[in-house]
Amino acid sequence: MSDFAIGLWSFPVLLLLIFLRMPIGLAMFAIGFAGLSWVTGGTTVVLSKLKLEAYSTFSSYSLSIVPMFLLMGHFATLGGMSQALFRAAEAFLGHRKGGVAMAAVGACAGFGAICGSSLATAATMSKVALPELKRNGYSGGFATATLAAGGTLGILIPPSVILVIYAILTEQNIAKLFMAAFVPGILAAIGYMLTIMVYARLHPDQTGHRDPMPWGERLRALLDVWPVLLVFLAVVGGIYLGVFTPTEGAAVGAFGTGLIAIINGGLRGRAWLESFYATARATAMIFFIVLGAGFYNGFLALTQVPQELSLWVTAQGFSPWMVLVLILVLYLVMGCVMDSLSMILLTIPIFWPIISALDFGMDPEELAIWFGIIVLIVVEVGLITPPVGMNLFVINSMDRETPISHTYRAVMYFVASDILRVALLLIFPSISLFLLRIFH
Amino acid sequence: MKIYPVFLWLARIMAILGGLVLTALVLLTVISVTGRALNGVMHLAWVEALAGPLAQSLLDAGLGPITGDFELVEAGIAFTIFAFLPLTQISSAHATVDLFTSFMPVSVNRILMALWEVIFAAALIVIAWRLYEGMLGKMRYNETTFLLQFPVWWAFAASLVAAVVAAIVSTYTALARVWEMLTGRALLPEHGEVEH
Repeated sequence: MSDFAIGLWSFPVLLLLIFLRMPIGLAMFAIGFAGLSWVTGGTTVVLSKLKLEAYSTFSSYSLSIVPMFLLMGHFATLGGMSQALFRAAEAFLGHRKGGVAMAAVGACAGFGAICGSSLATAATMSKVALPELKRNGYSGGFATATLAAGGTLGILIPPSVILVIYAILTEQNIAKLFMAAFVPGILAAIGYMLTIMVYARLHPDQTGHRDPMPWGERLRALLDVWPVLLVFLAVVGGIYLGVFTPTEGAAVGAFGTGLIAIINGGLRGRAWLESFYATARATAMIFFIVLGAGFYNGFLALTQVPQELSLWVTAQGFSPWMVLVLILVLYLVMGCVMDSLSMILLTIPIFWPIISALDFGMDPEELAIWFGIIVLIVVEVGLITPPVGMNLFVINSMDRETPISHTYRAVMYFVASDILRVALLLIFPSISLFLLRIFH
Repeated sequence: MKIYPVFLWLARIMAILGGLVLTALVLLTVISVTGRALNGVMHLAWVEALAGPLAQSLLDAGLGPITGDFELVEAGIAFTIFAFLPLTQISSAHATVDLFTSFMPVSVNRILMALWEVIFAAALIVIAWRLYEGMLGKMRYNETTFLLQFPVWWAFAASLVAAVVAAIVSTYTALARVWEMLTGRALLPEHGEVEH
């Protein structure tokens, strides 16, 4: 068997193992290890590679941003920032048609600005907003669908753990990617709110009614949100303006949210330990996937599969747009069963060379950033696509009275809004890129 | 069989140690950023004009970014990640695709789980062993970091301790899963402490 054939066959084998519930990071590590041994004719090379590779992956300065952002998210939860955000959004929007749901989306967007993960945002906000939605007469299906969709804002609105990984894989500037994700993130929040308005008009029986709050109370609720705003401005603003590196920004953010949590009295003994445990589980999981992906991609590169594949696609003379749409559809399908991070690590080393070899009339840096933002969104759509989107299960499991089929039905409206947004971003790349063009 | 709490305790101790180091790195970075910012302030023309001697003495006292802060972050974060691994092992927190196996009988799932955990333990043992070899290499050549000039093998040694604990905890998890497969009784929580 030629090296190229081994490389090509490794992919279906890897998928099979993953579908048999082998931990994704381990599967990539094992296939990479076996493949490298096969191609280099023994374990000598791969064992000597491993002497430094595990350490250098885990000691990466740019990746150290990941545990810091995760810690920041947990501190933010403990500091009661999710409640403060939801109360403020509800004070202003709650009395409108579908207003409490809109408030949930707004609060998710706000929390997404200090939390880098989608599931964490969805789960955290659900604890706060789900009981409130149901108390106000919103149907369980609609409430859970709203929160599942709102959770995806956690990853879109910077800071975002997955964008960090994408930036490292494609050797792009993290700060620029964060900047490019900002407008699409806001657009997503607006799109979800419009979706809720439409849904509330079509199904008035599923959205309750609430009286408007007096302005005094609204302003008081708004006052509780300033710490979130401050942390977000310091972190994202500082990174955008180049005051500090993304890693430094993450440290400042973790410090700020930690301080707020201490002041608000949320960070005591047990809770502090729990936030360490949760950060530990998520961090080690992510880093093992990164390590495994490094091994697997090292092996693939040796077999020339990514290069050959990219050459082959270019030689076929397909339209660049057709290739792009095909790749996105593939992401959408895979996103239904696999978590976003694994998918990005698994596929970007194969797809990015293909995309970068095609002509979209953009310079390479802008192309990488634009492609990254769109892939990020499409992967997130997978998280809320029935029947297997992961956010749907997590949120639905928090509301025992609601059958998952009700969540499925309601979430389709949000999926439609997502697909519309992806189309917009595809047709008008400047939506993602204009901020960058202004600032650089 | 009352071994599980012992290993869970060990894994949690490591996670707490990792968390403390992570917190220390956060503080270190924040102090360094603050120092750099203040250093910039002291160099501003109007500050020098207004409080020249004070600004100068502060600068002389070392007000500024911490030298080699990123070297410390790199060394510390490596330890942190290795220290986080044991808890992830024992609570089966690694990312998996559960969709297809959820249709399979429990016995098949137990076999698969045992198989993967055994491979995982093997992988972590190999990783710890290679890390040890890597450390020996760094010792042999007396490699030091660029700015702080501390021996690189110190950082390797700290990570190695955590990697060895990860290998031990993972070996226990693998044995427990094999025992579950053979006896058909549950020993470990299915998904440990599931995170919400």
